[in-house]
Amino acid sequence: MVRLSDLHPVEAEHLAARALAMPAIGPGEWVTPLPLDQATVAIVSTAGLHRRIDPPFTVGSLDYRLIPGDTQFDDLVLSHISANFDRSAFGQDPNIVFPIDRLRELASSGEIGGVARWHYSFMGAMPDPSQFEKAGEEIGRLMAQDGVDIAFLVPI
Amino acid sequence: MSEAVIPPRALWVPFPLGRPLGAVDDSEFQKNVMRTAFRLLETAVEPTIEDYELQAPGEGFNENWSCPLNLTPESSGSLTERLLAEVALLRPWAIETRRQRGRTLFGASGAREDQVDELARAFASVAETGDVTSELVVDDVAWAFETPLLLRHIADDLRTFYHEAIAAQPGDTVPDHDALNQWIFGETVLGEALLSVADGLTKASDSPMAQLVRGLLIPEGHYRGGSAFPQQTNFPINQET
Repeated sequence: MVRLSDLHPVEAEHLAARALAMPAIGPGEWVTPLPLDQATVAIVSTAGLHRRIDPPFTVGSLDYRLIPGDTQFDDLVLSHISANFDRSAFGQDPNIVFPIDRLRELASSGEIGGVARWHYSFMGAMPDPSQFEKAGEEIGRLMAQDGVDIAFLVPI
Repeated sequence: MSEAVIPPRALWVPFPLGRPLGAVDDSEFQKNVMRTAFRLLETAVEPTIEDYELQAPGEGFNENWSCPLNLTPESSGSLTERLLAEVALLRPWAIETRRQRGRTLFGASGAREDQVDELARAFASVAETGDVTSELVVDDVAWAFETPLLLRHIADDLRTFYHEAIAAQPGDTVPDHDALNQWIFGETVLGEALLSVADGLTKASDSPMAQLVRGLLIPEGHYRGGSAFPQQTNFPINQET
């Protein structure tokens, strides 16, 4: 996401260093999913999204928040700790970060099989993504039980 | 980072951070990004990162945008008085945006959307006293965090209020993220308060969390005196404040 050359030089250097230092995670088992027009899709965000009733994310958060598919946008807030991304876009059009309406439209047009009942958000902002393994595996089990075929990961 | 994580299928996009699907209020553009990503389900036979080369259509961004409201206070006063006066000038527009959208992003700090004055007063008091670690007690406000991390989210709520105030104002052009930051930090009392709080956090050198919050408070390029993070800082995992 984003070209490093489009960022402030200090931020670009910071992110480039983070990327170089990031420990490699080996690829998981290769899975060929159902054809898209038969598949149920769930969103996994790293924007630090949650419902107003949920506890906010904090520094070093490794947990996730559940976002039911019928959550109204006025019930979603963003508690990501970074100040270096455009939050006004989400305020104007939440689908640009959490494209639930776009998934519904794709399902309505038959391009995807269906939309999952449950979606999830992490906060990210963690130099070592392996720290999310436990929560990630839990979400995998929940998705399997929810009949999800495809996880659409949308970073912030 | 994707190259390190090695996801099965990834679509790199050229859009600014905070706009992963590219174009605001453009459902076809967003769906085309999604369609391109989903096509990898058919075409990829091994871990694949593909580039999405299309730029988001112009949204009337104008790097020369300026706020039409005259925010210059008629009289000087304390930082608190000037911030409250500025909030009062912006309030009708923020209310209008909330009415049009039927929602607001305000509230990450724990404050209700009708508690902007309480937030402004609390934040300005921290800016004026430099006390960034003492508990903030404001009647009828249920904070979601403790200081100093709370200051990070009060700042966000106030910036959200200002962004929402801009969104309803008439005009053909829309300020982009950089223009909004230039306006806040260059022309508003809120920017002055943010920089003062950052100074207070810098001086609280015995508080690791205060040093971390300083780096999270102000977008890179707007902190006076150099980088927001003067030293390499590792995010602590589940660290107590």
